Amino acid sequence: MIKTSTQNELIQYVYNELADDAAELLEKAFMHDDELAEGCSELLLIQSLMNASYKSPSERSINNILNYSKNLSLQS
Amino acid sequence: MNTTTQLSDSALVTLYIAGNENAFEQLVNRHKNKVFTTILLIVKDTYTAEDLMQDAFIKAIHTMKSGRYNEEGKFSSWICRIAHNLAIDFFRKEKRSPMITLEDGSNVFNNLSFAEDSAESLQIREDTHARLRELIQTLPQTQREVLMMRHYAEMSFQEIAEATGVSINTALGRMRYALINLRKKMQNTNIAYDKNLYSE
Repeated sequence: MIKTSTQNELIQYVYNELADDAAELLEKAFMHDDELAEGCSELLLIQSLMNASYKSPSERSINNILNYSKNLSLQS
Repeated sequence: MNTTTQLSDSALVTLYIAGNENAFEQLVNRHKNKVFTTILLIVKDTYTAEDLMQDAFIKAIHTMKSGRYNEEGKFSSWICRIAHNLAIDFFRKEKRSPMITLEDGSNVFNNLSFAEDSAESLQIREDTHARLRELIQTLPQTQREVLMMRHYAEMSFQEIAEATGVSINTALGRMRYALINLRKKMQNTNIAYDKNLYSE
């Protein structure tokens, strides 16, 4: 059973918010704690899936933004 | 070849402020999917998300062009924060639960390029990602909020704690439960842990 404090550290670790020394300790713990290492892998997989789930806006919207910027530059 | 493609966001912002529109186009193309998805997951309506995404970038244009852009933070965090705030404002004003119109048939694939993949596998991948976006919507509100703020709007856990009036440990706990619940929901709906479905 992974302690709550360690689970919170795992979350901070996968989002690059854990201090360097604490991250180093956690990485050492992965070497001898399979449950912890597996928990980290699961989080990274979900994170990766969410990263891949971005959806694209329409080209029309992008062109509107770019044209707005160009028109603004021409006016100034 | 576009000479701005390898530049950092910070360099692109500097070039844009100096009048280089290509630099701005590069910034938009780099961040459009993240900004759009951040909004879409909150407002749950493709057409509203398109409008709010334009508003977010227009707000960014005015801030940069007027010299009020703060170089201290990352551009991606900043633009996602603008998008998140606009979406939340819209959602609060509307006070409604709009229909989910995630798949409108246009431009269905994300920014990943898999030239070797068949149309069928691309469709499966997109279906999976669409299902994941739907599953995020089913998370309890406090968990969805922190997941959106951290993963999509790129706020730090400390910033989330301050914005939501809870301790950082509570914010971390909510994120942990959000990810655990998401994993369970994925397993229950047979979203496979297929490495081909992930980014990179």
